[in-house]
Amino acid sequence: MAEGSDYPAITRRAISAVGGMKRFVKVGDVVVVKPNMGWDRPVELAANTHPLVVRAVVEECLAAGAKKVKVFDYTCNDARRCYANSGIERALKGIKRVECKQIEPERFKKVQLNGQFLKEWELYDEALAADVYINLPIAKHHGLSRLTLGLKNIMGIMGGNRGFMHRNLDTALADVNAHFKSHLTIIDATRILTAHGPQGGNPGDVRVLNTIIASTDIVAADAFATTLFGLKPGDIPVTVAAYKRGLGEMNLDRIKVVRV
Amino acid sequence: MSQLLFLALFLVLFVMTEYRGHDQISVAVNSFFRSDPLVLAGYLLAAKSWSRLLLPAVVLVAATLLLGRFFCAWICPLGTLLDLLRIRKTAAAPPWLLSPNLKQWLLLTLLFASLFNLNLVGLLDPLAILLRGLTFLLYPLLGLAAREGWVELYGLIGEQRDSFAPLYGLLRDNLLPFRDAIYPLAFFSTFLLLGIFFLERLGTRTWCRCLCPLGTLLGWLGKVSLFRRLPVDVCGDCGRCRDLCPMRPEQGRLEAGECIVCMNCERDCRDRRVTFKLAAPLKGAGPLLPERRVFLGGMAAGLLLAVPARFRSPEMTATLLRPPGVRAEDEFLKKCVRCGECIKVCLKNALYPAAWQSGVEGFYTPCLIPRLGYCEYNCTLCGQVCPTGAIPRLPVEAKRREVIGKAVFDKNHCLPFAKRIDCIVCEEHCPIPDKAIRSREVTVVGSDGVERIVKEPHILDETCNGCGICENVCPLEGRAGVQVLAVINRTPLSEPVFGSEPADSGYAVK
Repeated sequence: MAEGSDYPAITRRAISAVGGMKRFVKVGDVVVVKPNMGWDRPVELAANTHPLVVRAVVEECLAAGAKKVKVFDYTCNDARRCYANSGIERALKGIKRVECKQIEPERFKKVQLNGQFLKEWELYDEALAADVYINLPIAKHHGLSRLTLGLKNIMGIMGGNRGFMHRNLDTALADVNAHFKSHLTIIDATRILTAHGPQGGNPGDVRVLNTIIASTDIVAADAFATTLFGLKPGDIPVTVAAYKRGLGEMNLDRIKVVRV
Repeated sequence: MSQLLFLALFLVLFVMTEYRGHDQISVAVNSFFRSDPLVLAGYLLAAKSWSRLLLPAVVLVAATLLLGRFFCAWICPLGTLLDLLRIRKTAAAPPWLLSPNLKQWLLLTLLFASLFNLNLVGLLDPLAILLRGLTFLLYPLLGLAAREGWVELYGLIGEQRDSFAPLYGLLRDNLLPFRDAIYPLAFFSTFLLLGIFFLERLGTRTWCRCLCPLGTLLGWLGKVSLFRRLPVDVCGDCGRCRDLCPMRPEQGRLEAGECIVCMNCERDCRDRRVTFKLAAPLKGAGPLLPERRVFLGGMAAGLLLAVPARFRSPEMTATLLRPPGVRAEDEFLKKCVRCGECIKVCLKNALYPAAWQSGVEGFYTPCLIPRLGYCEYNCTLCGQVCPTGAIPRLPVEAKRREVIGKAVFDKNHCLPFAKRIDCIVCEEHCPIPDKAIRSREVTVVGSDGVERIVKEPHILDETCNGCGICENVCPLEGRAGVQVLAVINRTPLSEPVFGSEPADSGYAVK
């Protein structure tokens, strides 16, 4: 975890605290960086990952020798508007070996998950084919799951009728995350959305925390981020379900927090 | 030359009438409709008010008074297409079609119907017919063909397709429609357009000569024009003009108001006898107004059309949603040109041409079908391209507060009520900053007899703007568990008050 108002710098510090990008990205790798850019909202409303954080992560990947870095999200609002108004498309413009393309629906592939709730689901082929998958959510309130963090950000590579998952969201997310692992989870808590999420819209709901959390353990990252909202990891059923599935650690006393 | 230029301009503006990454569209194909005297006439008669947007049409009226019916041969993109296609004459036109009274009667009926509050001029306006044919069938067909081809390519070569991505990206970003939509009335629109092309088989410019209400209106105005062909009559010793003229003078002279100033006769006159000059209006060029019989007939027909066409089925109007900013149905119907531009530009393909939802009167008017597409919270494009302001042009802050309808839950269908399981995808997507859909935890006994806690959604009428995203994203199949219904009172929502604290802390995480 790193704190400070220079977002690219704290992003880099957090990454080096977990061993540096070279630990994850090898020369010639294809990397997918999956921010949250699902909503047609400007940066200050904290509905999407901060563009400067995304750029810093992408630059780290390139510096580690990545052949190509792909950045995308399956948006909720109009894709063109989300890509433009999240500021992410602009922040990545002109950087070589970086792709920021909208989702092409034909590229979803049916995958056998053999989970408890989801037996199979469509996942995005570019995420499936990537050598390294970096999960880059923003920490936000969510009406159903209370918070949306790393575990829920995986929905951005899922096709089909995603609303169906809401019937049993905790189990469904554990199913997907058990099958599809994030190599590195970086949670953007530079600003967090404390209410009316995941879309927000009221500047009064935004808190500026100037914080970045990085971990190889997606559950631990989520568990720690939960404390930023004044909640306990056990309050978030998604985190609990993933912990019970053995996807990571949620007990704060067993998570080592390195502040840099 | 000018013809090709305007046709190209029309097509370029057509393609530009789309979201291409900017919130504002600087110029759109609405420029043509704003310059259209028939649109102007219908608006003035029906709405009985004036709109600054239609100033260009007034300029065109003035130009026509001076120069004659030049629009038809120099500007009209439909006329240009007819000239380009050069369909050969294969049959003789029936006499009733050639009757000079037919088009007068048609135009008068439209104008009188407008006066009696039924503005249907857009249905037969040539620009609107062309635009609707393009928007509802030809353009989606182009998009679909390109996209299907691109998808097929993925099936053939998979990831390797990426090497062609820049080329396709260029096409997609600059030419193709963003989203594939299939429109109702697509065949009818194309049928009208093709029908006009088909009429060419009865002689050149048959539509323009015998039917076009815009051409007829310009003809009336052009009768007094000072710019005319000399000599007035076809010369007895040559008479080639008769074949050169696309408007086919049956007698030895082209009546005033029929000449479209194409100047073919001047250009191709072997003896250089024909010239176009400023000259005093002819004496005895026929009456300015049509015969009294036709005039009264048109008035009667307009009145007869205006009243029964107003029938609306209450069942259909209950779910008839209009674009954002439209407050009153009657006012809207009087101003709407039925040109289809809002439908073309709509970011999420939420707008579709109405077939019968609003009766005959509402044919081709835009209506919002949330299950197919919702109104994007931060988008104002439909109001920007509307040529008459029937959909008002609003700043985004104001547009967000305009009420399209109000959402209601169907408790027999919505999951938390009907099946007692969690869902609230609708709440997640609701764009209102403080949420017009909220949920509360209730303890229920599930169908399995087990007690559990479920989040039940409810709607706050005073903050719902009816954008329809809830109905759009509802994960139920077929009919949604939440539906936006039309409301008569569309007073905009009050301005949101943003405090430094979350509006109601019970709702927030802390």
